[in-house]
Parts: sequence; C-alpha cells; structure tokens
Amino acid sequence: MGASQGVVRQLMLRLPSCLLALLLSFLAVGQQTNPVDEFFTRTSSTHTNNWAVLVCASRYWFNYRHMANALGMYRTVKRLGIPDSNIILMLADDVACNTRNKFPGSVYANQGRRLDLYGDNIEVDYRGYEVTVENFIRLLTGRVEDSVPRSKRLLTDERSNVFVYMTGHGGNEFLKFQDNEEISAFDIADAFEQMWQKKRYNELFFMIDTCQANTMYSKFYSPNILATGSSMLDENSYSHENDADIGVAVIDKFTHHVLSYLEGINKTSKANFKDFFETYNFETIRSHAGVRSDLFDRKLEDTLLTDFFGGVAQVEVMDIPPNPSVQEPLVKPDQKLAQEGVDDAFPRSIPRQSLSHVNPPGMSGWRLWLGCALMVGLVLVVGVFRG
Amino acid sequence: MFLRRLGLGTLIAARLLLAYHPALLHLQDDAQLSSPLTSYKRLLEGIFLFQNGVDPYTGGTFRHSPLLLALFSTAFPLSSTTAPIIWLAFDLLGAVSLAKIYHSRTQARDRNRNFVLVAFYLLNPYQLLPSLARSTASIENALSLLASAFACSGKSSYALLALAFLTHLSMPAVLLTLPISLLILRGPHSSLATPTAFHSWSKLIPLIAEYSIYVGILSITASSIAGGVHWSYKTWGAFLTLPDLTPNPGLWWYFFTEMFDHFRPFFLATFSIHMAIYVVPLSLKFQHDPLFAAYIILGIVGLLKPYPTLADAGLFLTLLGVFPEIYQYLRTPIVTALLHLHSSLLLPLFHKLWLSQGTGNANFFYASTLVFALANGFAILDALQAGLRVGLGTRPDGWELVQI
Repeated sequence: MGASQGVVRQLMLRLPSCLLALLLSFLAVGQQTNPVDEFFTRTSSTHTNNWAVLVCASRYWFNYRHMANALGMYRTVKRLGIPDSNIILMLADDVACNTRNKFPGSVYANQGRRLDLYGDNIEVDYRGYEVTVENFIRLLTGRVEDSVPRSKRLLTDERSNVFVYMTGHGGNEFLKFQDNEEISAFDIADAFEQMWQKKRYNELFFMIDTCQANTMYSKFYSPNILATGSSMLDENSYSHENDADIGVAVIDKFTHHVLSYLEGINKTSKANFKDFFETYNFETIRSHAGVRSDLFDRKLEDTLLTDFFGGVAQVEVMDIPPNPSVQEPLVKPDQKLAQEGVDDAFPRSIPRQSLSHVNPPGMSGWRLWLGCALMVGLVLVVGVFRG
Repeated sequence: MFLRRLGLGTLIAARLLLAYHPALLHLQDDAQLSSPLTSYKRLLEGIFLFQNGVDPYTGGTFRHSPLLLALFSTAFPLSSTTAPIIWLAFDLLGAVSLAKIYHSRTQARDRNRNFVLVAFYLLNPYQLLPSLARSTASIENALSLLASAFACSGKSSYALLALAFLTHLSMPAVLLTLPISLLILRGPHSSLATPTAFHSWSKLIPLIAEYSIYVGILSITASSIAGGVHWSYKTWGAFLTLPDLTPNPGLWWYFFTEMFDHFRPFFLATFSIHMAIYVVPLSLKFQHDPLFAAYIILGIVGLLKPYPTLADAGLFLTLLGVFPEIYQYLRTPIVTALLHLHSSLLLPLFHKLWLSQGTGNANFFYASTLVFALANGFAILDALQAGLRVGLGTRPDGWELVQI
C-alpha cells in the first residue's frame, strides 16, 4: 500500500514533465513544415503593405463636409501608420482656400473647430478638376500615361491591402463626380476586377458615404473585397453637424461615427471588424449602414482594423539555419581594413587626417613661396632698375 | 602739431581696437561690404582648401587672385589676431597715399588738410565697414590710391606696378591704365581752371607696354602659384561671365537673374562695353587734368562694375576731398548726400527683409540698389559738370553763361 502510493506519487510528480515531453515531441514533428509558408497561411492577414485611396467627389462650398470627410479619413489613416507615399488623396475642390472660408487654410470637421484637418503637412494628389471618373479608374487599374508622376499612381502589388474610401453625392448605383459626371457601381466593380486580375491587391476594403451608398457595392464580383456603406437603397445619408461660423455642415454622420470609433484605437490595437460593424446603429447614423462580406474569405473577427486603416505590417523574426552550401563571401575582408580602420574602405575626397605631407594635385607649398618670391623680386627689380 | 599727431594716433589705435570686437565678425557675411570676389570667408576657404590638398580654383567659392592666396598663406598668415592688423596696414597705406595725392596736387603742405583727409579715409563708413568686414575691396582701394599717388609723384614704374597688382585683384582696374599713364606724363597739378591740350600721346605707348609686361609677369607668377591658367577663368572670367549671382549693391545681378541663356552673352558684352566706353572720352576731355579723369573713371567703374561693394562708392566720395576747387560749382551736393544716406540705410534693411525675414522680396533690395546707383550717378555727374564748369571761370556780373 505504502509502496504503491509512493509509486503513484512519483508518477504524479513526473506527469507534467512527461506531458511536456510529449508536447514537445509533437511540436518537434510539426516543425518540419516551411516557416515561410506558415507565415502566409496563417489566419491573420497576409499583406505586407497598405495603401489608401480617399476620394471626395463633389465640389463647391456647400459640400464642405465631403472634403472634411475625406480629410478626416486621411488624418486617421496617416495617424495609424500609412505614409503619404501610400495614400492617394483626391479632393474635387479646395475649401481651405475658398474665398468663403472664414478660416482660410483650415478645414474643420466638428462644431467647435477643435482640430484643423488641413494643417500644414498634407499631400493632396489629385486636386480640383483632376478628380474625374476617368482619372479614378485609371488610378485603380494602373493604366496611366507615362507622364503621370509616382505620387499620382497606385503602386500596389499582390500583397497590398487597399482601403478605398469615397464620399460625395450619390444615388442608386451611381456616385456623382464634380457635378458633371457619374461613376456607376458597375464601373467600380469592373475596375476592382481588373485590379484582381492584375494582382494589384491582396485584400480590398471599400467604404462609401453617400446617399443610397450600399447600392454601390452591390455589383462587386471580385474576391477578397470587404465593403461597407452608409445607407441602403432609397435612403439618404445625413450630415452630422453644422458650424455656425463656417456656415455649412462640416461632417457626415456615417463618417463621423467611423472616425470617432477609430480615434479610440492606435497602431497596436487588436480591434477587429466584427466589433466595429456591430457598432453601426440607426440611432446615431440615422440610416441603415450596411456591410458586404461575402466576397471576403477571412472571418471578420480575425480581421483587424489596422489591416486596412493602418500601416502595420505583420513581422515574424525567424532563425534560418546557415546553409552549408553557401559560397565564401564575395568580398574578402581586407587585411589592411582590419588594421587601419574604416577610412581606407571609404575614401573621402578630403582625407580625415591633415595632409600637410601629401602633394595636392598641381599645387604645393613650394609654389606659394615661389609666388611670393617672384612678387617680391618683381617689386625689387622695378625699384632698382626703374625707380 | 602734437595734437594732430596725438589725434591721429588715437584714431588709429581706436580703429585697431574696434577691429577686434567680436560682434564685428557678423560683418563678414554682409553682402554690401564684400562681394563673392572680395569676401574674407571665401579667402579663408580657399586657403584652407589649398592646405588640405584641394585646388581652390576647381569650385566656385574661391575667386581671389592666386597672388592673394600666396601672400596670405605664407608671408601674412591670416588669423583673428593678424587680420585686423593687416587690414589696418592697408587702410593706412591708402590714407597715406591719399594725403600724398593731395599734397602733389596742391603743392601746399597743409597738415590740417592732410589730417582731415586721413581721418576721413579711415572713418568714412563706406570704407570703414568693408575694412572691418575684412573685405579685400579695402586692399583694392589701397592699391588704386597707391597707384595714383605714385603716378602723381612721377614714379611711373611703381605706379604701373601697383596698377598691375590691382588689375590682378580686380580686372576693371585695367580701365585705369589710360588715365594713370596720362597722369604720369602730365602731372597732378590742378589745371581744371586752365585747360590746355596734351600733345605727346605717343609717349603713352611705352607706359602701356610696361604695364602690360608687369601684368604678364604677374600672370606668370599667378600661374606658377596655381599650377595652371585655370585661375584666370575663375577670377578674371567672373567679371566677364558673371557666374555668381549673389545679391550685391551693383546693377548687374538682378538683370542677369532673369536673363534667358540665349541673351546672356549679348548682355554681358553690352554691360562690359558700357563700363569701358567712358574711359577714352573722359581721358580726352580731361587731358589737361588726368587726375580728375582718373577720379571720374574710378567713380564710373565703381558704379558699373560687376561685383561692387560699398568700398567702391566710398573711394569716390573720399577722393572728392582732393578736388576742393570744384566745391563751389557742385549743383546738387545735398541731393547726393541725402541719396547716399537714403540708400545706405535702405540697402541693409531691404537685404535683411528679403533674405533673413522673408517679408520682402528681391525687388525691394533691387530698388535700394537702384537708389544707390542713383546716388553714385548724381555724385559722378555733379563732379563731372563741376570739373568742366571750373574751366569756364567765375561769371562776371551782368553776364550769362549759355551753352551753344
């Protein structure tokens, strides 16, 4: 009895270590797979860079709120880490420098004018009359003329997550550009399909804030697209608040809701889209905001907000064992380098140490003295012979 | 007399002490006091580059003559203690030459006048400030006065040698060859009131030949210092091609900032010729008083040269003291004085407003350079017409002076 109890006790003591050994052996077996493949087949996002296309498609002073929408989104996206080089900001009009703007050079999105969205560090890539349907579609599909500069191109690749935000006046399956043309939902869907065919996105998040916005994403047919809109068919989207001094509405309800939510997160946030979409409600937005996720193959609870809104890349540091078949290094470490330091490896035009002993090209110390001697000699000769 | 000497000594001592004041180091950056061709900082840069094995004439910063490079690297090493002494020495050389010129011209040993002239030369802000800024324009002024003083004394070779040195520092000085040679032949005595013709023009040729030989020998010296002839493109070439468009109180830079390259050679030629065309007519007109011709030509060169500084205008104003006979015939002395006051205040103000604060633009400073040019022009024209007027004598009562 005592001996068996002793054995059982011994076994109990050794159980955790046995289990641990068992677990480690399983893991050791499991380690045979390629770590690179594992990186790209995990449930978290598989993108390596982020891009954002923010479009305000309406002009004139009374559409101030659309400009403020786009600028608010621009600020948030920048704050969460997407650099200016990866943001295409298209503003159809310049309200900051509009003659009706009581606060020239500033664009505000709230009633008390607490935050200037225009600031002095923004880059507007397409401005004014450059914001057209043709330019937008050319931007997305990459079919731009050779003369278009890099800052106006969407240089995405196969592993880019693209966030497309559009705001303006719209209706049933159309969005109005510049008060004289429209883009239809079919156009955008075809553009996205071209992007997919040309491997110009990894995943695409489409957000639109217009009247009857949800109709705009109803025609998409390309994979890996997540879409959300501010209002459904036959429903208007509303502006949020006016500023008494600016005189017009400064932000829209749906965008205000989105931006307020995003103000609460930062680059390290693990907030996911499921929680985000569940905050949509009719009482604050006053329209039925919608989501389309059937084309999106990841689960919304696994998709982080920073996968689209931020410039956060997933990084794993791996130990790659040294391959014995690798050649010797191409550059032999120079013996002289080891002894004399870095200077000789990186020759400067003016060497670091003082070079009084080195002859400069074409000029030497003796030349100066010769020159002085010649000058003095000339003076003396003139003085003696001609004085 | 003792008081005079004491006063002079005090003046020189005070001037030397002033030069050591640390606040005056900021003057070295001022664009009015030193141009890209005369800046002290560029001189130091060139010497440093040379001492570190880089040819200073391969870049665009160093545009001083190789003679200065040699002189200031070896015989007169520049440092914060030696530089003020060197510049004061050149100023004193200029002051003594000025007194000599006056003495040669009037033949009167008026020591009071000498003292006033020397004091004026040392204290004239147009010359004091460039000297405190250690601009080599002070050296150029001293050399031109030295050349004139030797010419007044009849020492032709010294005068031409000094002029050759001056030509190596500042190429527009070659325009002074004709009046200085005439001065050597004719003498400095004031004959504005009694103009007589000059007949021995052929005697000019050996003088000009001698000057050319001196310039040639100095060029060979400079080439041996620099190890090639490329220095001439950077120093003399700068006067002809205007590579550096740093704003200065002159008239060239603004014009050429907005010049299309297609027209550049034409306008460079026009501006250079404009500066040169006055030499022969003035020498002919004032053949009876070549010192006065040299004076007017100095003024014109100072007005129209590519990279002037305030020192050039200062030389002209200081030399006015040598010609007291024209004072009663000056018609607009107050206007000239006020224009100079006006421009001397506006130039640094608009320069700072444009380039430091950014609240003005280039046009402000350009306008002030135009006022400065107007002031210089008024001074030159006034002196010129006064010099001519002297020849007509005093007007008796009841008579009118009419130009036909």
